[in-house]
Amino acid sequence: MKPTTFDARSEIYRNKSQTTARLRNLSIFVFSILLLAYVLGPIAWLLSSSFQTEAEIVSVPPHWIPDEPTLKNFEAIFFSEFEEVTYDTRKKADPVSGGYIPSTAKDLLPSMWNSFLVSIAVVMLNLFVGVPAAYAMAKIRFWGRDGTIYTILTTRVIPDIALVVPFFLVIKNLGLLDHIASLIVTYLAVTVPFTVFILVSFFESLPDELDKAARVDGCSRLQTLNKVFLPLSLPSLVAVMLFAFLTSWNEFLLALMFTQTIASQTLPIIVAGFTSDFTISFSFINAAGVIAVIPPVVLAVMFERYIVSGLTAGAVKG
Amino acid sequence: MSNQFKNLNRRDFLKKTAAAGALGALGANGLITQAMAAGDTVHFMAWSAAVDLVKSHVAEFQKVTGINVNYSNAPWAQYRDNLITKFVGNAPIDMMWVSDAWLPEWAEAGWIKPVDKFDNLMKYNAEAEKFCNDSMTYKGSQYGLTYYTDFMAFLYDDEALKKAGISNPPKSWDEVTEQCLKIKNAGIAEYPLMLALAQESWLIEFLAAMTYSHGGNFTDDKGNSIMQDPKEGAVRALQWVVDAVHKHKIVSPASVEIGELTGLKAFASGNHAFALEPKYRMRTLNDPKQSKIAGRVKQALMPMGMDGSHATVGWMRFHGMSASAAADKTRAENTARLIEWFGGKANGEYKFQKYLFTDIGAGFGVKPLFNDADVQNAYNSYADVNIIKEQQALARKKDVVTPWFGEWNEVHGSSWQAAILQKATPAEAMAKAGKKWDELKKEMG
Repeated sequence: MKPTTFDARSEIYRNKSQTTARLRNLSIFVFSILLLAYVLGPIAWLLSSSFQTEAEIVSVPPHWIPDEPTLKNFEAIFFSEFEEVTYDTRKKADPVSGGYIPSTAKDLLPSMWNSFLVSIAVVMLNLFVGVPAAYAMAKIRFWGRDGTIYTILTTRVIPDIALVVPFFLVIKNLGLLDHIASLIVTYLAVTVPFTVFILVSFFESLPDELDKAARVDGCSRLQTLNKVFLPLSLPSLVAVMLFAFLTSWNEFLLALMFTQTIASQTLPIIVAGFTSDFTISFSFINAAGVIAVIPPVVLAVMFERYIVSGLTAGAVKG
Repeated sequence: MSNQFKNLNRRDFLKKTAAAGALGALGANGLITQAMAAGDTVHFMAWSAAVDLVKSHVAEFQKVTGINVNYSNAPWAQYRDNLITKFVGNAPIDMMWVSDAWLPEWAEAGWIKPVDKFDNLMKYNAEAEKFCNDSMTYKGSQYGLTYYTDFMAFLYDDEALKKAGISNPPKSWDEVTEQCLKIKNAGIAEYPLMLALAQESWLIEFLAAMTYSHGGNFTDDKGNSIMQDPKEGAVRALQWVVDAVHKHKIVSPASVEIGELTGLKAFASGNHAFALEPKYRMRTLNDPKQSKIAGRVKQALMPMGMDGSHATVGWMRFHGMSASAAADKTRAENTARLIEWFGGKANGEYKFQKYLFTDIGAGFGVKPLFNDADVQNAYNSYADVNIIKEQQALARKKDVVTPWFGEWNEVHGSSWQAAILQKATPAEAMAKAGKKWDELKKEMG
């Protein structure tokens, strides 16, 4: 009887294990679906509503698939022509009728170009400034090294809002108001500390012997950095590039303060200007939102495999 | 790697980097300084409302006067912070839009200056609503001309009243109670009156309308608190609300969590028979695309409380002049001309205020526009222009707009809510608000 009892117990145990595994898999599946819905829901709604009329977008219950899809929001963004605004040509915004498309719709693409220029410049300068700085702090023993690292990090503890007035005075005295250079300069102050922080951690995780071997082989400091460390640092470099790009792409407060015209205004400023205390077109703003998220999403998809490894690189020192 | 780069030592590298940076900054500096150094340009800052109308009006001004205008705007939500930063940074700003709520703070800080000395501006006061002139006046000086204005209105669903056998809207708050009970008992609405009393920026407008119509004030002529005085209306108004919620059950206890927009939607859905709403909401409420009670919403004069009147609260925004513009004679004169062009008459008519109304429904602050045929037709398409005119004439400025308004307003709003939730009596609640006012006035007044 004993073996039988043993077999039966084994069978029961196996069944229990299988049931537990199935339940666990089911739970993971259900929570994954919920998480996906939570994360993708707003994006799906953004996309769907950008093709809806104003009347449809506020209908209850909401229409996830538009009954009367329209491209007029995108047409306004891509095909608006410059027209002198006079009493006769002005757009009359009626908050009741809805579907209002602001005349500044035509500014969206130029502002996107400004955002792109600023973001690319900030990324390039971040690398230009941050990489040598991080390498020096990680691999060169000099007096005040730790203090320098902490000082750089401390600048990130100060909230941006506290820096607005000092930044404004500096930018004004430099004569850079309403110029994209004002954004490049200030965004560097915001992003370089993070870049240095990530790269210092990563460079420190690489063995000092690599540095010493390169030096023994006759490499200068810059050559060591260029030929030995940078090829090994691709994930971290991608992470800081993405961080600098996204920070510059999305930044609102400083851009609001330093820019005034479409010559320098960036995407977040133009999009925010589509709302006012009288008029708002949800469908148009959502269409603008769809266009605004395309570049960051494309970048994130392109470099997805580097992002997590780059951000965590050097976080754990062995 | 080139030899040049290979042989670059740290010192050379730093030198070259610094030189490149300095050259870049100098180049940009030169370019921008050149661009900013425009001659007699008037710098005009506004929030992003009616952008096309403003642009067209600016274009016409430039054509007529030959004065160049640099118009820029910022979203409403960030406008105040943006402008304060620019004031502090002494950025070039001559004319700007100002909310009546910011006037004491900006005037005290010396960021904006009075326009009393410009006769071409002051002559419009005779045709402006009194509460508009009052709202632009601080310590006896006037700081601009009206951009737009509105007031708190008492609205009703005519069909709901007729269903309950009520032929005329209420004239007093007692009649409001009676009619609400009739409507409630007829099963037409559980809570016939919609009050949006959530702690948000609209709250003071609702409370001021209730208080004024009960014959009260928050402060006296010298700015001392009288809100705690049972004879001064605020306590009576609060008592009426508390009774409406708990005794008569004609106002929802959830009203302390209902914001203006939520309340508007609830009223538009047909859940209530009466509502306190900003007047401009009538346009939305009578629009079939946005409201289930479209065509049924009418306005009555604000009901009177005991010893009260049909008074309501009005608010406004105005075109102001910066201190830096006022300090320079030519700049000040050019700015005053632009203020007149927008807030007064342009080519002999109140063009901007009229177009602002016909384009986007924003209220105007000058009485002659009520006689304009276009304005009358526009108003009558969704409301009764005569009632609007009568009620607007009875609107009063908020008598609590001071440098400490924001801080007091928090306590005041919470006090009303505490009374409505029966955590305090109306007298205790208003005593607390009055005490806070006295403390802040002593500290900052």
